[in-house]
Amino acid sequence: MQRDKFFREIENVTHPNEKLVKTHCSYCGMQCGMNLRVNTITNKIIGVEPRYDWPVTVGKMCPKGVTAYQQTNHDDRILRPLIRDDASLKGTKEGFREASWDEAYDLIAKRFGELQSQYGKDSLSVFSGVSMTNEKCYLTGKFARVALGTRYIDYNGRFCMSSAAGGFLRSFGVDRGSTLPWTDVHETDCLFIAGSNTAECHPTSMFRVWAVQERGGYLIVADPRETPVARRADVHLDLRPGTDLALANGIVHLLIKNGHIDEAFINKHTNGFDETKDLVKDFTPEHTSMITGVAVEKIERAAEIYGKAPNAIVMFARGIEQQHKGVDNVSAYTNMALVTGKIGRPKAGVATFTGQGNGQGGREHGQKSDLLPGYRKIYDKEGAAYVSKVWGIDPEDMPQAGVSAYEMFELMQEKTIRGLYLLCSNPAVSAPNLNFVREALKNLDFMVCGDFYLSESAEYADVILPSVTWSEDEGTVTNLEGRIIKINKAQEPIGESKPDWQMQVELAERLGKGKHFSHLKTAKDVAEEFRLASKGGNADYYGATWDKIDEQDGVFWPCKDAEDKGTPHMFLDKKFYHPDGKAKICALPYRPPAEEPCEDYPLRLTTGRVVYHYLSGNQTRRIQFLNDMCPEPYVEVHPVTAAKYNIEHDENILLFTRRGKANYKVKITEAIREDTVFVPYHFGHDESINLLTIAALDPMSRMPEFKACAAQIEKLKSGKVL
Amino acid sequence: MTMTINDSTYTTETAKTKRRLYMELENCIGCRSCLAACTQCGGHEQRNRNYVYDVNPLVNRQTMPLMCLHCVDPACARSCPAQAIQIHETGAVLSALVEKCIGCQNCTIACPYGIPKFDEEENLMYKCDLCIDRTKDDIPPMCASVCPSNTLQWLTEEEIAEKQNRHDLDNEKWVTSMPYLEGETNVKVNLPGILQGTVKLF
Repeated sequence: MQRDKFFREIENVTHPNEKLVKTHCSYCGMQCGMNLRVNTITNKIIGVEPRYDWPVTVGKMCPKGVTAYQQTNHDDRILRPLIRDDASLKGTKEGFREASWDEAYDLIAKRFGELQSQYGKDSLSVFSGVSMTNEKCYLTGKFARVALGTRYIDYNGRFCMSSAAGGFLRSFGVDRGSTLPWTDVHETDCLFIAGSNTAECHPTSMFRVWAVQERGGYLIVADPRETPVARRADVHLDLRPGTDLALANGIVHLLIKNGHIDEAFINKHTNGFDETKDLVKDFTPEHTSMITGVAVEKIERAAEIYGKAPNAIVMFARGIEQQHKGVDNVSAYTNMALVTGKIGRPKAGVATFTGQGNGQGGREHGQKSDLLPGYRKIYDKEGAAYVSKVWGIDPEDMPQAGVSAYEMFELMQEKTIRGLYLLCSNPAVSAPNLNFVREALKNLDFMVCGDFYLSESAEYADVILPSVTWSEDEGTVTNLEGRIIKINKAQEPIGESKPDWQMQVELAERLGKGKHFSHLKTAKDVAEEFRLASKGGNADYYGATWDKIDEQDGVFWPCKDAEDKGTPHMFLDKKFYHPDGKAKICALPYRPPAEEPCEDYPLRLTTGRVVYHYLSGNQTRRIQFLNDMCPEPYVEVHPVTAAKYNIEHDENILLFTRRGKANYKVKITEAIREDTVFVPYHFGHDESINLLTIAALDPMSRMPEFKACAAQIEKLKSGKVL
Repeated sequence: MTMTINDSTYTTETAKTKRRLYMELENCIGCRSCLAACTQCGGHEQRNRNYVYDVNPLVNRQTMPLMCLHCVDPACARSCPAQAIQIHETGAVLSALVEKCIGCQNCTIACPYGIPKFDEEENLMYKCDLCIDRTKDDIPPMCASVCPSNTLQWLTEEEIAEKQNRHDLDNEKWVTSMPYLEGETNVKVNLPGILQGTVKLF
């Protein structure tokens, strides 16, 4: 199914004493297919072989994917539970000693018990992540609510996909990251990509992106930097960071003015057009240009191309979403598809590039502070009652909604939250305003961290539980298309490491909640319960059995029962998920970034990724090839700006904001706006750019504004290049 | 003189559907996945044999891969005094044979593209062998298998001809450098040993 012109039958190479295990990459939402090479004598993973028969990526992998297998048997793996008795060493790597699982579990049960009896159930918290399987994500939500009985659970998707989720829910009534399969992408006539450094963050999308241009189609890219994908765009909308909402309103203004709207579609299938038309009236090309800094002609050309394209896909990513108006940006760009009716059919639609491997599935099934499995709201009584039944608890015992990821750190600082179970995330690098966040972690009475490497966040833990890498467990992941796929186990866990779901079952037993968990003996057992828990929700996985996933090359949700083959294209019947079946065109007034440049902080700081690293870099900085390619952060500066500060390429400078400072090497490039500087965020300790970023949160998604704040450069006496 | 080696698994049937490495340099996004993948080919000993350059790093993000072009009459092989560099019947110019390479490094300076490199420890030259374990059976080399941007592709003669036709606008305008991709250039390159025959002045 969904095999296209890029698909070719190619036999794989197998060497003597080797077998291939079909699976997917551990990193981003592309979830590229790969075969892990396993030595059949040692039963260890020794390499990678392309998976040519995976229809989305046909064997292609980025350098992270090619080297992903090197994580599993890496020397830095934590092999046994670690305990640190001296709390004064928090925030360092020092003082940990190896312990047995029994001792670790006993200590956790004792300390968690003490905290809850003294300060109440909600004194504990869970901070998790979505670079793990649906089964693990699901069970983490259940563990927090049932085993710990706390309301405080949230996850790193809050820093990643929350704005896309909020925007899609508002516009469509449902949050599936892409309205169409990726095998449509190269067949569209116009790609409008906003705030996505696609070539570095989702490289294996690029052969489809270039193919649009090869067919004579158009590529429009909105980005403050001339990224490798913007380099070849037909129109590069080089906007000021944090001004997307004005740009999107400006494009919609022109689509209406140029008569490129689909009135029949608007009347039949949407609400809110008139208010929106009224609001965007002010966003003339000149006004839009004044706010965004993009030339009038470029705005006009982009609107004309998108308007004329028979089919077009609007795509975006963290560039527009990691703003304190990220949700509005998502809905505003989605407006383009809704006013032109370029949605609900093949080759036309809207998609976000999901950042983390399971950024889609992981946000649907109960790790978010206010969500339960199947994308049910925790305050929806009927939904909560259904999930309670699956979990075997009294609905009265279902905790209330908690707070968002960043707000949990605020509660740690003020001692409302006193204990933390952190897993699959490294907020000591990836959260904004790190000086505050690191203090909050230090301020905890007791912290447990599940990880397979000693991350910067694990340095704050009292107990570290050794988890497994993705290749030592099995389960499902939902990729950026909304396609549920299968991760397969290639090797037994090394040392005494265990999958997180198993730790949670065993820990729940210690906490006296065994009757809700003890029946879960395998990942498959968790999968079966999870499918049932999602049944009937918007994100319904009930029909997505592991067998069906294998047979069909994945299953697109919703998939309600055994007969249902899944839903590759959303809204083909033009039915949206709001109660009246209509989509919402949103009238969204422009708001500037929370912190605008001023005399003391005249530069706009924006952050992002490089192709060689993933998220906080806890995994990729340990892989030699990747670290050789990009061993340290840097600040990109335009030559005109560099001349103003009298700084040179490779010179070490001080970059600072109202919140923090760090030293970076200057990288001169004309591929950035003069008023903007860029630093990649994959680095820890003193090198973290998030020491400088602002924690201005989106009112709906609670997404911090990683992508825009005001900064200043200071030349260092010792910084000169020799 | 260069030598061609025969491989029993390479049949006339394979020759018919013969594919070549084909490059579209403008597609390159600089991800260097081809380098990482190169290290994964059996026998490459975790060391890449292809390279990627930033074309104008202080200006823009244009990058380009530098791959062995597997020349029809390769300077590396011609410069080798020990006939250590052999040409496979698929046309792939192989890495130096361990038992023959004398470590003279002629090839490393003979190649106008700088492809052959020298391993001091092993006293051995190494270069791209077009993943001969794969390409002899028409399985794409690792670099082209993984290339996310389709800068590197593994295409049949027919597919390459189609590409060439597409770019031939028949309007006497320069369109692409297609016909010259195979390395039959107009530049003449001398091999190492230019001082041979020079008589010292005193």
